[in-house]
Amino acid sequence: MTQNKTLIEAIRIVVVVLIALAIGFVITALVSKEPVAAYTALLTGPLPKISFENGFAITNINRFGNWMEESTTLILLGLAVAIVFKARQFSLGAEGQMLLGALATAVIALKLALPFPWHMILALAAAMAIGFLWGLLPGLLKAYLAVDEIVSTLMFNVIALQLFDLLLFNWLRDPTAGFVGTVPFPDSAVLPLAISGTRVSWMIFIMLAAVVIVWFLMERTPFGFELKMLGANRKFAEYGGINTKRVIALSMAVSGILAGLAGAHLSMGLLKRLTINLSPGLGFEGIVVALLARNDPRWVLVAGLFYGYLRTGAQIMERSSDVTREVVLIIQAIIILLITAEQLFPRFQQWWGARRNNEAAMERG
Amino acid sequence: MSAFVEMKQISKVYPNGVVANKHVDFAVEKGEIHALVGENGAGKSTLMKILYGLEQPTHGEIWLRGQRVEIANPHRAIDLGIGMVHQNFMLVPSFTIAENIVLGSEPRKGRFLDRAQAIAITETLSKSYGLQVDPAARIESTPVGMRQRVEILKTLYRGADLLILDEPTAVLTPQETDELFLAVRKLVDQGKTVIFITHKLVEVKEISDRVTVMRHGEVTGRVATADVSEADIARMMVGRAVFLQIDKPPVRRGRVVAEVRNLGYVAETGRPMVRNVSFDVYAGEILGVAGVEGNGQTELVEVMTGLRPATTGEIRIDGKPVQGQSARRIRLSGVAHIPEDRLTNGVALDASIAENLAVDRYNRPPFTRQGILSPRAIQTQAVALMQQFDIRAAGSAAPMRSLSGGNMQKVIVAREFSAEPALLIAAQPTRGVDIGATEFVHTQLVAKRNEGKAVLLVSADLAEVMSLADRIAVMYKGEIVGILENGPHLTEEEIGLYMLGLKRDEGARGEGRGARGEGRRELSRPSRKFQPSRKIMQRRSQHR
Amino acid sequence: MSFEVVLQSIFSAAFIATVIRVSTPLILPAMGGLISELGGAINIALEGVMLAAAFTGVIVSGFAPQWFPGAPEWVYALTGGVAGVLVGMAMGWMIAFFHLELKTDIILTGLAMNILAAGGTVFLMFSLTGDKGSTSTLDSAQLPAVQIPFVNTIPILGTLLNGENGAGYNIMSYIAFVLVAVIWVFLYRMPSGVHLRATGEMPEAAQSVGIDIRRTRYWALVASGFCAALGGLYLSMGYLSIFQANMTAGRGFIALAVVYLGNRNPIGTLIAALIFGTASALGTRLGTMAIPPQFVEMIPPVVTIAALVIYNIRRRARINAAARRFQEQAEAARP
Repeated sequence: MTQNKTLIEAIRIVVVVLIALAIGFVITALVSKEPVAAYTALLTGPLPKISFENGFAITNINRFGNWMEESTTLILLGLAVAIVFKARQFSLGAEGQMLLGALATAVIALKLALPFPWHMILALAAAMAIGFLWGLLPGLLKAYLAVDEIVSTLMFNVIALQLFDLLLFNWLRDPTAGFVGTVPFPDSAVLPLAISGTRVSWMIFIMLAAVVIVWFLMERTPFGFELKMLGANRKFAEYGGINTKRVIALSMAVSGILAGLAGAHLSMGLLKRLTINLSPGLGFEGIVVALLARNDPRWVLVAGLFYGYLRTGAQIMERSSDVTREVVLIIQAIIILLITAEQLFPRFQQWWGARRNNEAAMERG
Repeated sequence: MSAFVEMKQISKVYPNGVVANKHVDFAVEKGEIHALVGENGAGKSTLMKILYGLEQPTHGEIWLRGQRVEIANPHRAIDLGIGMVHQNFMLVPSFTIAENIVLGSEPRKGRFLDRAQAIAITETLSKSYGLQVDPAARIESTPVGMRQRVEILKTLYRGADLLILDEPTAVLTPQETDELFLAVRKLVDQGKTVIFITHKLVEVKEISDRVTVMRHGEVTGRVATADVSEADIARMMVGRAVFLQIDKPPVRRGRVVAEVRNLGYVAETGRPMVRNVSFDVYAGEILGVAGVEGNGQTELVEVMTGLRPATTGEIRIDGKPVQGQSARRIRLSGVAHIPEDRLTNGVALDASIAENLAVDRYNRPPFTRQGILSPRAIQTQAVALMQQFDIRAAGSAAPMRSLSGGNMQKVIVAREFSAEPALLIAAQPTRGVDIGATEFVHTQLVAKRNEGKAVLLVSADLAEVMSLADRIAVMYKGEIVGILENGPHLTEEEIGLYMLGLKRDEGARGEGRGARGEGRRELSRPSRKFQPSRKIMQRRSQHR
Repeated sequence: MSFEVVLQSIFSAAFIATVIRVSTPLILPAMGGLISELGGAINIALEGVMLAAAFTGVIVSGFAPQWFPGAPEWVYALTGGVAGVLVGMAMGWMIAFFHLELKTDIILTGLAMNILAAGGTVFLMFSLTGDKGSTSTLDSAQLPAVQIPFVNTIPILGTLLNGENGAGYNIMSYIAFVLVAVIWVFLYRMPSGVHLRATGEMPEAAQSVGIDIRRTRYWALVASGFCAALGGLYLSMGYLSIFQANMTAGRGFIALAVVYLGNRNPIGTLIAALIFGTASALGTRLGTMAIPPQFVEMIPPVVTIAALVIYNIRRRARINAAARRFQEQAEAARP
């Protein structure tokens, strides 16, 4: 019976995704002269091309690389959101934690001289530490002073952004550059490449490890059990003897570690420096990944790959057609709306049932 | 004379299959006080919700003043002159009394509120019906009795001819109850009709002209109150004596397991809920806590289990002080707890049965070893407990939500009993569960007692307390006003005096009172179920 | 740089004029946030609504001359403004529909609306103008400034009432302040406003006296969209006269915090919005004096968090005080 339910849920998610993609196509068709070509680019663009004409060859590896890069960031953010959502905490702080994570890597990379790999490791550790701290603060406020986490994390995001700008403008900025940004990080603080010809770095391995660790944390540790019980019913968890305040604070802090890593990926893996307007709004993209995955880390991997694929496809579509990549945001919004709409399918069934009854009545009448 | 209200053949089936009303016929005549009685879950609230438009009947008709009416929502009910005073007050805390009374149909000056008029209306209503309120006071700072008067005034302001009062005395002190009864009579004198929902028979006799009795969703009697005795009504309510015959060997008191001394608790609202409470619970006995609900029993249990902090006093379990400790530490000291409100903190509906059974022990071997949790161990335990406690479900991985109320309670009992506690605190352990599960829980509680555990049984069901407990502590307004040895000499009238605060033993303490045990007892008098009797009412009037 | 100069520049009429300009796009959405919050339906999509309305206003007013050539300029501005407001209200209605009919989580729905607006505006901007960054190629209309006559000759008052250049503030700034007053009267002096507050505070009570909660929340969210849309229109048709991608820059989220900082009433919310506005204006002003503006801009969010913390500490202190009193009484009562 439970198996059956899981299956229905999976079908529901796939149907939602298909509906969203279909609506996306309709929207594309409304504005594009060649919607089919554009959508084909969106849906097949990230795949590397394998040709056998001159022997076996893989071209467009960079597109595949883009897909993996996007997905790495998104999976880290998705894991961050999955942890807090599992505990039913509406922390929206990933954006700020990510910014500060990137900022911390820049400080370590540019202000310290250390050999590889210690430099890199220290920078990563700094990103995770600041993410942890930036999640812990609103977590403590929520747990011990009942300060609403939505408002506080949004404010912590604002503070993080100001801190980021403050240090970037006044301390880290390269005055000779034509834009607001730092000098490139030294090689000792850059994540080594994993696939040549792309920007896919060791972060992909860290990300995979993070998926396993978060899964382990959720399913095989007492903390994971506490997280689940807190999310299921806070009063029940307290009654059972769980220190829910500690779990609330820790869930938001642990989530921050992953968002901090996502920030480190941007600076140490993709840009290899810090720039202004690092990636506004990216912190919220983890939400759709966690929702698609139903907060299950294993499915976060799948959902992150899927959503990263769409985003990469959208970039390719933008370059090769007259449609901008933002269509993927529209698709994302539709996915969130439909996937959270519990009453959507019951309503549809009702409507369908009523219609059929009417038809039957008409036939009889 | 034709009926003022007539509900014909009303049936109500909820989407989850629960049948709340079965072909109910209900009629009230103009100008009468009509009592609607029945046990919890008998369907009286549902019937009244249908009359007030909060629920739609699956089947049946409503006739009002000789006309067939459809009552689609409360708004329609109000238009038809029906007013309802709910058990949980429907008042906006930050609004003033006048604002609450006119809410939804405010007097207007043009497009604006006429606030002076609202206050004037409140004062006029208040005077003409003798219901004293302060129009400018905010609800959040007024006492319960006044809030109820506000609720009644609200319905009168809306032109109600028919007032439905849903268990209005549940939250009132005896004085407030008397005042309420005076006010109700005054309402009837002025031509109103009142439906009075209750399960207290003494109130039925005192206030009502006629009475309709419900049981299991059906009407089992409709009589003039003067023609029947309380016992007759009780028989209609209960049908037959369903009380258990419990084989209880004589009590063999062991050591003191729990010592509670001068315990006090102040709620967040600043109201003291538990005052200077002291008692002992011994190994091998069941200490029952009786009392009208809302007299501090809930808070006492939650303080003892670490869910709320004690404000004053001491609690010792096996000699070790535990007050101020976390719920987990208290559990580790050997306390288990069957909570009164199952759905709020007894279960997590969205978690699996196996997880629900492990919430207090997941972090210890065999469930967690070296920091690693074993879902298999949780699973294994669940399978074993489900068999042992006869929990019927699709499997241990099934969500709690899929269980019936009785099976949910069995999950809780399974968890708390298997914790092997020294002290078991059971709060309302059979509320809302079927007879089979009730019997099961009772047998288990007695078994624990016989094993030599200490059991603290808190129940609003006096019959339950009297059939199970070895001693009975009665709570009134946050205090323990008496601790009585249970036995054939103890009558519910006696307990009723304590419950209503008419009698108290000064310096009631748990220690030192005779520890004589009682052997097998039979409890089958239905009237035991209902607390105060005529005798108490006489006493009360003497007091005044 | 002397301290005096800083002080002088802060306490000038011109500075206050700046504060009003900077605060306008916070006051308007905050009023929207307040209405839905009081109705018991948090609107986290203020940001998205502002963005969508800002975009619609510019696009419609920019294309309006093609639809009705030769009309006076104000017709185009008005058309754009009305279109923007309608889009904002439509978004409010959509949140209500998804939340109330399809039972979505209102926070996630709001976030989806934000994403929809962020993506949709850029998507449509590129399709319509061929530019992804801003609508600078489009000649869009501006909402008029309103000058208060006769006061310009009075030194300080002139600047205060009509801005530094004496041309008057944008009409939206006046609307913002008037809106605060209107909403106050509405909430506390009109039946439907009282019904709204009852719905948010105690839905069961509201329902029991025949107030339609669903309908109340529907229009609360639509009204919320209306107010936030005004704020968005001000940004693209008053403060600036173009639309830029992500031009709201988090103002919608700040507006939400402003509601909480303002203790969920219109006057408090106005003051809170002015605090944020002042910090922002001060930041810009200090930035020109080589003091990092981020320091100042950090103050309001810190104040907001501090205010929430203090609120809860005080609540706790009240409870503790009651407990202490009881304890003392208990001690005294004991022999």
